[in-house]
Amino acid sequence: MNTRSLRFRLIAWYAGLLIVVFLILGGVVYGGLKSYLEHSLADSQMRRAKQVAYTLIAHIDQTGPAHVVNEINSWFAPETSDRFIRITQATGTVVYQSANPKDQIFDASHVPFPHQFAKATWRKESVPDGKQLLIASFPYQTSAGKKYVVEVGVSMEPVQNVLQRLVTLLAFGLTAMVVVAIGGGYLLVRRALSPVDRIAASAAHISLHNLKQRLPVEKTGDELERLSVSLNQMIARLEDAVQQNQRFIADASHELRTPLTIMRGELEAMVEGAYLASDAQETAASILEEVERLGRIVEGLFAISRLDAGEAQKQSAPFDLAALAISTAEQMCLLAEDKGISISTDAPHEVIVEGDRSRLKQVVVNLLDNAIKYTPEGGKIRLSVLTRDDTAVLSVEDNGIGVPVEAQAHIFERFFRVDKARSRELGGAGLGLSIVKSICAAHGGQVEVRSADGQGSRFTVELPLAHMAGKKEAKHGN
Amino acid sequence: MRILLVEDEKKVAEFVARGLRAERFAVDVANDGPSGLEMATTYSYDLLLLDLMLPGLSGTEVLKRIRRQNAKLPVLVLTARDGTAEKVEHFEAGADDYLTKPFAFAELLVRVKALLRRGATDRSSVLRVADLEVDRLSQQVRRAGKRIELTSKEYSLLEYLASNAGRVLSRTMIIEHVWDESFEGLTNIVDVYVRHLRSKVDVMHPVKLIRTVRGVGYSINAEPEP
Repeated sequence: MNTRSLRFRLIAWYAGLLIVVFLILGGVVYGGLKSYLEHSLADSQMRRAKQVAYTLIAHIDQTGPAHVVNEINSWFAPETSDRFIRITQATGTVVYQSANPKDQIFDASHVPFPHQFAKATWRKESVPDGKQLLIASFPYQTSAGKKYVVEVGVSMEPVQNVLQRLVTLLAFGLTAMVVVAIGGGYLLVRRALSPVDRIAASAAHISLHNLKQRLPVEKTGDELERLSVSLNQMIARLEDAVQQNQRFIADASHELRTPLTIMRGELEAMVEGAYLASDAQETAASILEEVERLGRIVEGLFAISRLDAGEAQKQSAPFDLAALAISTAEQMCLLAEDKGISISTDAPHEVIVEGDRSRLKQVVVNLLDNAIKYTPEGGKIRLSVLTRDDTAVLSVEDNGIGVPVEAQAHIFERFFRVDKARSRELGGAGLGLSIVKSICAAHGGQVEVRSADGQGSRFTVELPLAHMAGKKEAKHGN
Repeated sequence: MRILLVEDEKKVAEFVARGLRAERFAVDVANDGPSGLEMATTYSYDLLLLDLMLPGLSGTEVLKRIRRQNAKLPVLVLTARDGTAEKVEHFEAGADDYLTKPFAFAELLVRVKALLRRGATDRSSVLRVADLEVDRLSQQVRRAGKRIELTSKEYSLLEYLASNAGRVLSRTMIIEHVWDESFEGLTNIVDVYVRHLRSKVDVMHPVKLIRTVRGVGYSINAEPEP
């Protein structure tokens, strides 16, 4: 699960808040009930203690302690009613102490004495076995001036049982409620956010090549409708900008080509004509050469711009990349033989890709041309077309001069040359590999280079396989 | 031979017209669409050179209207746009050939001459240039009765040269016919193949048939070199 997703974070916050609220609620209910139960138990014990004090201790001087003992035993029957009663004189003499209850739930003789004799109060006393007694103590002074403390206690067990039950109930009930609330919240959030997934999925499919598409807009009137409408407006502006850019390129191509045509035509006339001094003619020839190079650069740049604007999509059809590579290599092998370079091809089976055949052929041509240019005489070039998972892999490997490591990151950039002088000498415009890169990108693929300086290089083109692999196209050969 | 040049860029029109006149063609120049259309439909021309970006009436429209009246007039389109879609559009509108600016004048001249002599192309199954025979059906080549083995590319190149015997073919034209547009800009491939072709066809014989035309391309010619 993606813990950074909006869905997860919303539910986590919601669940966290809910748990905190329920914990506070449980705590308040528990504390309140506990305090209420203890106080009411203490009140009733206190009433009994006062009763003993006012009715029995008040007359103890006349009736004697034995009478008090008998009266308490007959009134309260402490053994059977699980009650603890003790009457202590301030001097420490115990006047009465109830016997252990019949079911032995506590040991009356081990109950500690109160710390305070002067005040009517209640306390909780732990007795062995982990039980607790709630004991109310009430001081009383007889008319003769003798001080007594009457203690009446009872087991806390019933109260603790009730509280135990409450804790169980709260634990189960609140957990169940939290689970139900989180489940419900998850469903709600999913429902509310599902348009976001749809918007994201369709937005992911929109690239420079299909700006005509729009996102689906659900007429819900909510924030998400507003979001898709604004996104669509943004795509429309993008489309507009791209179209303007394309128009600009088309206009620029016209505007640049016309003066180039004029310069070339006039220079050719000067070079051919016999009316110039020979050194001026040489100069004109040199300018003509540069004009021709400029023309090639302009062509290359426009080719890249058109590719980036998605032109390659217009001529898309499935074809066998392996057959294309083999036939292209055959067409170029004389160029290689001329330099004493051998080209070996390894394309054992059909590799169907979808795209603009002549553009992808240009990829093979450019890569082979590059390999031939930068491999010394007697070198070897290996061309292979294979499949790896869902990818067609075309690689051109040579044992030529290689690409220095620091240049490898830039080699596909426009106008980048490893060796400027050498490249110019070979007539390069510095655009061949960037055209390769643009063609690959326009087909949803990529190109990379691996090379060690002086030990050859390996260019690898990866393209997605056509999905209609069963649909074969006749093998092409030229 | 009378050529009509419809081109709004005066300087382009000037050097093209100057160059063509030097080659002894009669050249009329129109600087916008409407006047070009009017001249093309009023007078009789052997060839139309048409720029596509014209004021008043676009070149494509001019071409369509001319085609309604005259389906035979060879038309060479000069264009500053070279997308694949545009190329298809030119041919659909009725162009016979196109040339992308900036072009070499020699290239233009070669194409003009090719268009003017079109229709005269030898369609027979066996092409003969002096003692060279190219059999298009069996794709066999003989020189002085002796069989010559060629690779398929070498054969295509030789057949293209031989079927246009006596004419100069530019490197770009050869690439477009024998290879395809993927090889554009790779003109040295033509030189390499021609060299190999020569080694098989010409080297053993005193009369060299394949000629290099400096700065333009190649031709195959039965007549001795001037």
